[in-house]
Amino acid sequence: MLRIEALPEPSRTMALAAPLIATGITILISSLFFLSLGFNPIDTLHGFFVQPLMSLNGLSEWLLKASPLIIIACGLAIGFRANVWNIGAEGQLILGAIAATGIGLFAPWQDSVFLLPSMIAGAIMAGMAWAAVPAFLRSRMNTNEILVTLMLTYVATLFLSYLVHGPWRDPAGFNFPQTALLPYKATFSVFDHSYRLNSSIFFAIAAVIITWFFLERSFLGFRMSVGGVAPNAARYAGFRSSTAIWVGLLAGGAAAGLAGVGEVAGPLGQLSAHISPGYGFAAIIVAFVGRLHAVGIVLGGLLLSLLYLGGETVQLQYGLPSAIANIFQGLLLFFLLGGNFLINYRIRRIR
Amino acid sequence: MKNFNRRDTLKLGAAAGLTATVPSHVYADTLLKVGAVYVSPVSEIGWTKQHSLGIEAIQSEFGDSVDVTVLDNIYVPQDAERVFRELAAAGNQLIFGTSFSHSTPIQKTAPRFPDVAFEHCSGLVHLDNLGTFEAKYYEGTYVAGITAGHVSKSAKIGFIGGFPIPDIVGPANALLLGAQSVNPDITCSAIFLNSWYDPGKENEATKTLISQGCDVICSMTDTATGVQVAGENDAWSIGYASDMSQFGNGKHLTAFTLNWAPIYVQAAKDVVNGTWKSSTRWLGFNGDVVRMSPFNDSLSADVIAAAEKAMSEIKSGDLHPYAGELKAQDGQVRVQAGSVLPDQEIRGFNWFVEGMIGNLG
Repeated sequence: MLRIEALPEPSRTMALAAPLIATGITILISSLFFLSLGFNPIDTLHGFFVQPLMSLNGLSEWLLKASPLIIIACGLAIGFRANVWNIGAEGQLILGAIAATGIGLFAPWQDSVFLLPSMIAGAIMAGMAWAAVPAFLRSRMNTNEILVTLMLTYVATLFLSYLVHGPWRDPAGFNFPQTALLPYKATFSVFDHSYRLNSSIFFAIAAVIITWFFLERSFLGFRMSVGGVAPNAARYAGFRSSTAIWVGLLAGGAAAGLAGVGEVAGPLGQLSAHISPGYGFAAIIVAFVGRLHAVGIVLGGLLLSLLYLGGETVQLQYGLPSAIANIFQGLLLFFLLGGNFLINYRIRRIR
Repeated sequence: MKNFNRRDTLKLGAAAGLTATVPSHVYADTLLKVGAVYVSPVSEIGWTKQHSLGIEAIQSEFGDSVDVTVLDNIYVPQDAERVFRELAAAGNQLIFGTSFSHSTPIQKTAPRFPDVAFEHCSGLVHLDNLGTFEAKYYEGTYVAGITAGHVSKSAKIGFIGGFPIPDIVGPANALLLGAQSVNPDITCSAIFLNSWYDPGKENEATKTLISQGCDVICSMTDTATGVQVAGENDAWSIGYASDMSQFGNGKHLTAFTLNWAPIYVQAAKDVVNGTWKSSTRWLGFNGDVVRMSPFNDSLSADVIAAAEKAMSEIKSGDLHPYAGELKAQDGQVRVQAGSVLPDQEIRGFNWFVEGMIGNLG
């Protein structure tokens, strides 16, 4: 008989080996899968993981796509460590994008050098404000923040839809539901006009450094982690749980708002009814693939971004249907997250 | 597939130059590389399927001498722009965008690749190397509306649209106007999903409309869900883009189908011959872009005759679906009797006619 046993403390070997095992199993299963569909597994895997990075444009797209994922995952990880479950980063991102666009299009200081900085500040505050609603309700009325953050995402989506279909619709846009393009001064400058990567990538770097410092080196970060692992011990030590709720949610909201301005003043240049390919939700996966650690999140964000690009490359190169690419992405993430089980548990045989 | 470098591009250019001097039916090895970006997954029926038939028409016209690359399920602007750039950088000479959602990305990409021909279905902005094409859906919905007017017992029909954009709002109006040409008291309730492809939401929307008493459902999305759910609930349905009768449980009145093949093939031929120029095409029954699928067997001969009469009158220009007098939802007269709504206002339709229930949210 087999029995699952909790390890007395997390296994260091498995912490490193689990992702390798997961990758191995994914490659094995997906190879059989690709073969059964008549695709060469080596070519397909090469298309997924190597080909997208073979050109400068590919590298630029890789970082461009990873940056919002990393920024949001950093903010979420701060809350997740304290068992504060912010599932609504998507909505906070949308609010950030709305605030940034509103300032960029309608602020009276259009010619000022402060236009873009004010958009960034506005986006961060809007994301935080959206996250403050569940923080208030949870700390005062003990509502479930998972439900509140998720439902506020739908409110944000509909609010965005209202703006682009109504008052903010581009008057010169043939009634299409999108705003006018942001003026040049209201967008992040690109490094080179052939590529889309822009200066907002520095925010991803800053977010990672701040998160690392906060989680690993600050006393508040420590208190929040204790509250997450052992709430009773934290209470006994006098750590207030409402602080953890507020900090956890506001950090996620600020990060998502920042990612929102990065998108709208970066590759998008305007608001439309669809501004995020689910970054707010994908970032939850990134945070967990990165095991809620700043360095891990960078790796997780880069991996997820590569999976998106690879999914397109195999469509482009080998005609793999997008659904098959999605199955492969799902397999890899499933095994990566499932593999974490081996860090805290072991399976023993009992006679 | 091989990677393209500058030398290959030069060779291709030279090849294209050469072919301009030889008869067009003599095709060299790989004469044309075509890319297409679809907004939803390719399925058996629907909007994206009809575009894939256009691409297939190019393939059957050119055979092995055309190299086709297709990406499906691309609708978020950030992703679409990357895909358009990649297709252009990979040496595709002709690239199709197939959704209004591709507007900004394709407009941003085209100027960076002045030697590539871009064709944008449902687009409104055209540039030196970006052409647009679109169907007059409202001609189809008007004719379908005539059949709906005959079969509706509750005098209520239901419309489901992806987004409240002019290309959907206009056809919804024409559907009701067609039905009102039979029975002036008919009303039409409209729901917008804010998605092209969301079978779950569409299912709920259809059931909502039926529970409100609508006994004919017309759904302009990328799925057959509206037709299917209507059939399951014993309501009539009108298909969009493809013939959806197989899903309608015998209650599929007709479908206004889209035939993009002539436009796709012509664009490919023009690129090969070096005569491609960006242009705007807006075609309906004339031009064979909009067609009506076979009418339901249970419709009486009179009803079918009335629908076919309207079709031929629209073709000849004797009948215009948006002929006055047209009143808006609030009763205000928007088009005087004796005149018709100007084309540019049709393409910018953002108001409902009298009898429509719902709003453009």
